[in-house]
Amino acid sequence: MSQSFSNNINSFNTFTVADDGSKILAWLSPLEPRLRHQDIQESRVEGIGEWLLQTEEFRIWCAGSGGDESDSAVLFCRGDPGAGKTYIR
Amino acid sequence: MLTSCDISSLVIDSLCDQAGGQDVAVACFYFDFAAQKEQSPTSVLGVLLKQVVGGLDEVPGEMVRAYENQKKVIGGRGPRLSDIVGMLQTTTSEKRTFICIDALDECVAGHQVKLLGSLSQILRKSPGTRIFVTGRPHIETEVRRRLAGRVTSVSVTPRRDDIISYLRAKLNEDIIPDAMDSGLEADIMKKIPDDISEMCVWLPTLGRLP
Repeated sequence: MSQSFSNNINSFNTFTVADDGSKILAWLSPLEPRLRHQDIQESRVEGIGEWLLQTEEFRIWCAGSGGDESDSAVLFCRGDPGAGKTYIR
Repeated sequence: MLTSCDISSLVIDSLCDQAGGQDVAVACFYFDFAAQKEQSPTSVLGVLLKQVVGGLDEVPGEMVRAYENQKKVIGGRGPRLSDIVGMLQTTTSEKRTFICIDALDECVAGHQVKLLGSLSQILRKSPGTRIFVTGRPHIETEVRRRLAGRVTSVSVTPRRDDIISYLRAKLNEDIIPDAMDSGLEADIMKKIPDDISEMCVWLPTLGRLP
């Protein structure tokens, strides 16, 4: 009897923590980039830009851990507008 | 065709795939001219923190306390930038974290400076954190200035293969296929990549609008 009572309390506590957790997350920011990511992901043509993942810059950046002074924590990906913006759809 | 957000979403997906099963956090944000007002440094860094914390088993005590304190005043005040930066410093030092920010050039200039300053503070405390940023070339100087000595850059222009993949995909989606014949298709596949390879194609987010 007392066992089941304490189980109930535990599950109640867990529920409260989870509930507060989502309130705190919502309080941190109103933005929702997940939806934007999903939209872009769906319209992306398979294979396009994959070469970037194979470049030395990307691989070194990705594997780095900030251990040495030459480490670059930031990879800036520069889009060159060149002759001007071209809109192709 | 090849937009900064395509590149960002590709990188994010690849990082998430690599992370699968490991104790790694991936957080991202896409800037957008059309929503500049809502994209303050506090809400952008807040949403990065939200994604990192969302992957933890429980919300850190430090954050619960900050929330409880702000809840009591003026009917619930939002988080402060300094609190968010502090919490990001702690969480990113405890867990390998990738932060991806798309189209930083679409962020209001004043906000950009604050955001880069905050990222620099995070890196000082947590040098293993990896930050991926896309943007037009004109902001590179600012990025390098604010994140002194920590930046490598790479130029992204579509390769011939990208153009071919794109054309193939579009031809496959053609809703009036009768208008196409093999001669025309071969012409398209030959001529357009030749012409476009001469130019640099980089679309802003707005290029996605019809």
